[in-house]
Amino acid sequence: MKPSGRLKLVSQLLDLPLIDSEGNYCGIVDDVEFDGAVGKKTRLAALLVGPGAYAGRMPGWAMWLIRLVAGDRITRVPIAKVESIRSFVQLNGNARELGLETSEDKVRAWIPRRGAL
Amino acid sequence: MNPLELTLGIMTAVGGFVDISELVFAAKAGSKFGYALIWVFAVATVGIMVFGEMSGRVAAVAKQPVFNLMRHRLGLKLGLVTLFASLVANLITCAAEIGGVAMILNYLTGGSFRLMAIVGALALMASMWVLPFKWIERIYGLLGLFMIVFAVALVAIHPPWGQLAGGFVPQIPKGLSTKEMLIFAYFAVAIVSAVMFPYEAYFYSSGGIEEEWGPKDLPTNTITCTVGFGLGSLLSIAILASSAQLFTPANVDPQVLGSSALEVAIPFGAVGLVVALMGMLFAISGAAIETCMANAYSLSQFFGWEWGRHRKPWEAPRFTVAWACFFTVALLIILTGIDPMQLVEYAVLFSILVLPLTYLPLLLLAGDKSYMGQYANGSLGGILGWIYFVLISLAAVGALPLYFLTSGGQG
Repeated sequence: MKPSGRLKLVSQLLDLPLIDSEGNYCGIVDDVEFDGAVGKKTRLAALLVGPGAYAGRMPGWAMWLIRLVAGDRITRVPIAKVESIRSFVQLNGNARELGLETSEDKVRAWIPRRGAL
Repeated sequence: MNPLELTLGIMTAVGGFVDISELVFAAKAGSKFGYALIWVFAVATVGIMVFGEMSGRVAAVAKQPVFNLMRHRLGLKLGLVTLFASLVANLITCAAEIGGVAMILNYLTGGSFRLMAIVGALALMASMWVLPFKWIERIYGLLGLFMIVFAVALVAIHPPWGQLAGGFVPQIPKGLSTKEMLIFAYFAVAIVSAVMFPYEAYFYSSGGIEEEWGPKDLPTNTITCTVGFGLGSLLSIAILASSAQLFTPANVDPQVLGSSALEVAIPFGAVGLVVALMGMLFAISGAAIETCMANAYSLSQFFGWEWGRHRKPWEAPRFTVAWACFFTVALLIILTGIDPMQLVEYAVLFSILVLPLTYLPLLLLAGDKSYMGQYANGSLGGILGWIYFVLISLAAVGALPLYFLTSGGQG
């Protein structure tokens, strides 16, 4: 399915995993952003990724807890970067370039790079 | 289909099937009710075959493991509830497995329980760090085949085969008091939970992704689940039957893990005892790794992190930190001094409560033609899946009342 076609947001896009052009998992579609205005067509503008994007979907107390544990970072992935939507969302860009590798990189810095076969 | 890979896959499934809860509950069930609970093992085994096959098929066709798609299906709120519940269930199970490893190392070496827990956990963590997925799966699965000695021991003690075969027929023993009936029901629920632990489906489907399964691997998936799990379950049944044959007449209540190993020591002496303990050590070690990795898989997949042991630890950093943390917390739980046998009870109880939440999305996904196309559940798979879903839901509803009414099966 192409992102430019018609799609059911909840059943066909929300909460699907994102995979970048190199085949790496790089997040989940946590929310979406629209553009448009009154009297104009509403179009999908971007995918929102990160715990901050749960805000509209979780009760306040749960969101407080999520912010405490995971922060409130949101990364915006423009819809032009979406290649296709299947059982996952295939991106046509690299996760690092799209800003989706920040947390992985922070943790990676702590992990010794030796010992594994 | 590569015959060598298929054989290795089946052997791994056989060796990796039994874990601490099956060892404990099979021995206890045999000593309390003779052969009367064998049919529950058989029914639950068909259940894990059905759901195991589905989880492998979803991984091979949709190319996504269970937890990735679970969130999409259940939504964020219910998905988070399911995630939390399964993390807790798997963590308790992992702690119980580490406790089991420590007990067996204690039997083998005489070292203190706490020291053995630390040594065992560190050795397992080191192997998880060093070895890639396939090696982890194969080494612990294949060394777990030492457990076959339980089946050989059963043959050696010449059980009444007719009565044993009769145990496969669904039954409730005659003449039980109300209290005994409740204990029988509690054991039935516990066995269903122990055989169908949710981590098994998470680990199996994630393993399918790790090994890059595709539709061409579906026959291997089906054969591994049916033959591998089926033969693995026979080992649990052998433990139950030996217990019925040896412990019931002697009025022995196998309260500790080592009691199961005595079933082999009686016909084969000290050598048999050591082989049985080695089999138990590797089977339980494998299960400890699987539960811990199942948690890291679930967490990573739910939040879309890089994951997998086909990658170097630093290539999937948050996944690596997750399994290391879960293993450490499980070890700390054991180091508090809690009785591992008590943890087994809690693990079984908590897992059955989570089971319906775990298997419902899998059932929906495996039957969804938009994901699975021609590989979606057929009528047999769908009917079996729903029958088992109703069964585990009933078991989940009954689990807590039965636990309290029977004081955890003690009566």
